Amino acid sequence: MSNLPGAPVSFADRLADRLGAGSVAGLLLKFLFLGVVNALALYAILTLLPLREWTPLAVVVVATAALDYVYLSKRTLPLKFLLPGTIALLIFQVSPVLYTAYIGFTNYGTGNVLNEQQAIGRIISDSVTVPDDAVRYRSTPLQNDAGDLALLLEDPDGDLFLGTEDGLPLLEEGDIVGEGAARVILDEFRPITLGELGDREAEILAFSVPITGEVVDELDLDLEADAISVQTFNTAAVAVQRLEYDEVTGEIRDLEDGTVYTAVDGTFTAEDGSTLRPGFRDTIGFDNYRRVLTSPAIRGPFFRVFVWTFAFAILSVLTTFVLGLALALALNDPRMKLRRTTRSLLIVPYALPSFMTALIWQGLLNTSFGPINQILGVSIPWLTSQAFAGALPKFSVVLVNLWLGFGYMFLITTGALQAMPEEVKEAARVDGASGWQILRRITLPLLLVAVGPLLIASFAFNFNNFNTVFLLTGGGPPIQGTLTPAGHTDILISFSYRLAFAGGRGQDFGLAAAISTIIFFLVAIFSYIGFKRTAVLEDIN
Amino acid sequence: MAATDPLSTAADERRFDAATFDPTDSGPKGARWWREVGWRYIVGLLGVAFALMPVYFVVLASVSPVATLSGAQLVPRAVTLDNYRELFDTTPFFTWLWNSIKIAGGAAFANMFLSAMAAYAFARLRFAGRRPGLLTILLVQMFPQLLANGAIFLFLVNISNYFPFMGFGTQLGLFLVYLGGALGTNTWLMKGFFDTVPKELDESALVDGATHGQIFTRIILPLSLPILVVAGLLSFIFLFNEFILASILLGQADANQTLATGLFRFIDQNYGQQWGPFAGGALIGSLPTLLMFLFLQRYIVSGLTAGGVKG
Repeated sequence: MSNLPGAPVSFADRLADRLGAGSVAGLLLKFLFLGVVNALALYAILTLLPLREWTPLAVVVVATAALDYVYLSKRTLPLKFLLPGTIALLIFQVSPVLYTAYIGFTNYGTGNVLNEQQAIGRIISDSVTVPDDAVRYRSTPLQNDAGDLALLLEDPDGDLFLGTEDGLPLLEEGDIVGEGAARVILDEFRPITLGELGDREAEILAFSVPITGEVVDELDLDLEADAISVQTFNTAAVAVQRLEYDEVTGEIRDLEDGTVYTAVDGTFTAEDGSTLRPGFRDTIGFDNYRRVLTSPAIRGPFFRVFVWTFAFAILSVLTTFVLGLALALALNDPRMKLRRTTRSLLIVPYALPSFMTALIWQGLLNTSFGPINQILGVSIPWLTSQAFAGALPKFSVVLVNLWLGFGYMFLITTGALQAMPEEVKEAARVDGASGWQILRRITLPLLLVAVGPLLIASFAFNFNNFNTVFLLTGGGPPIQGTLTPAGHTDILISFSYRLAFAGGRGQDFGLAAAISTIIFFLVAIFSYIGFKRTAVLEDIN
Repeated sequence: MAATDPLSTAADERRFDAATFDPTDSGPKGARWWREVGWRYIVGLLGVAFALMPVYFVVLASVSPVATLSGAQLVPRAVTLDNYRELFDTTPFFTWLWNSIKIAGGAAFANMFLSAMAAYAFARLRFAGRRPGLLTILLVQMFPQLLANGAIFLFLVNISNYFPFMGFGTQLGLFLVYLGGALGTNTWLMKGFFDTVPKELDESALVDGATHGQIFTRIILPLSLPILVVAGLLSFIFLFNEFILASILLGQADANQTLATGLFRFIDQNYGQQWGPFAGGALIGSLPTLLMFLFLQRYIVSGLTAGGVKG
């Protein structure tokens, strides 16, 4: 900018110019902004580094470096305006989308939440059991000054042993000094007090002493045992580990009957098909998509939901548009009084929060107590009837969505009608066209050009209109005889939400993500066709 | 309720509109008045009745001495504020309302600003990747955040491991997630508006030594106030209504909820029993968006149609 008239002259201005800022105040503001950004980044890096979390660390470093570079360089003008929104977009919108696509190829969900190492650890430790005839000990949890845990064990004969995480060291007379809570063992371990117990509860309960050392012979063990495990705060028992993980082959072997379990799609499975729980997260290719298309328990409800989603979105756009347009045309006459008041009242349903109105309608349409049935003196199951594939609840959902949405259509068609040049209609009238002809041949076509893109957007919105469906019917009434939570009024998004988050039948993030991905492609394709036909994409300039 | 049938009003409309009229005629009388103007009042009245009928029931329920759903009637027999008292005593209602206003308002303002910055770049600067950038924003809109609900949930659970203050179960986490939607429809809306601000203004400012930052903050933003209001408002209303992400990400703590998730949990547990208090909450909770709409109606109409027509 220094070649322009009015180029900066003073030192401060020159510095400001060198650093890509227009003025000293701008420069200060910029340094304040970058200072805050870098301070936060430093904090984040110092938190993440010791945890060895490389991915989030890389994100922080790259984002901060990009911000610093863009705002200190003079050659990055468009990015100065685009970067903050773009970073937010990348982190909280694009990456979740990509992650969703990835989860769609995994078995993530109830029973497959842990990663492979965690799952193996859990399986092995779950396989440690105490046989019925095992020796049981009275035990006292101990700790030394370093915080290491140990146990003072007393077997049924009254013999005392010390158990540490390394094994069972020899304990001689005189190694135990003092009585009760004041005892000191080997000059090192003392009983954990009640106050300390709470903090280390989980640790103590998971503690076990490997059976090694000179004292093994004195234990009078009848069985092959590996460890003495804590059972309660004051008991411990000899335990047997049944399963073993082989790091070389990656298999888990049953030490008792020799069964070998290999990892198949995130679950350790034996040849006879028996499995070990929990499973782990694993990519399973197109299995989720295959399940959607082939598994009878999912395919059936999925296709019903799929068809209903389209029907719901199309019916919603159509009904709201027709009613909104009809009202807009009716009120579009300057000779009418109270037009502004009427218009304001008509958009009240649209102006109310939609989550609220969906919940309100749920009450109004209640079968036994709802005001609508009470006043009509009937008991119509508006939201719960199973008859004819839930035809009545479907009608109710569309009706409620009409109530919610016609105000919006009324607003935009009113706007478009008012922006329409009077002269065209005038000319048609002079040429002898009837009111109906003017409406059909002139007003409607012009109107559709103006609001066409909004109708497409409305379709895309209603395709994912979670609030109306979920808050009104919860997707119900349930479709009978399916293994997935699916209802007659469920649309794809509420179906996928219930797969991922509805309790009861467990969570299935993988399947839900696969369905989300399918929804994306459907909406993208239909919107593309729509935009193409209305030529919106042509005149981007 | 005849008015609940959309087809009848549409059909009426068409039939009556078929009767043409002479716009130079100042005041038709009698049958002709009915044919040309009078029916419009009837259609308007039916429309208003359809629009307000549920609202009437809610107002009635909120002041009814019977708190349960079954106590509904057309004409109130007694009026009481007990339901409101019950609502305020048993739920942190105003905390929910404040949470909603805080999160939705903060995110809407931030989104408006981020969006305006991006729109300025798209409207005024020429650079490689401009058209693809605009199309990408449109494409990303096809995959709204609520579709990625599972991924966002797992994402925030992970963040909790290192930054608990902005992870799962925090309002800051939800706020940040909402920022992800900054570049979107609103960017297009604003770009369309910025395009209508005469370029000569920038050019003369550039000649006078102004930077793009100054042009943006001192010329474009003040001249675009109406569209900023509309974009901010639409964004606020959208986020105020947002249910799915809030319900997933805010955790179980009662005081942490927004109005949407809080009232849902309140009414979901005992639907019929708490109808009166819920109706009261619904009315108060509707006031912020309702008032904004009524006062800013004209801006909204122009904003919505501008976004559609200009692209």
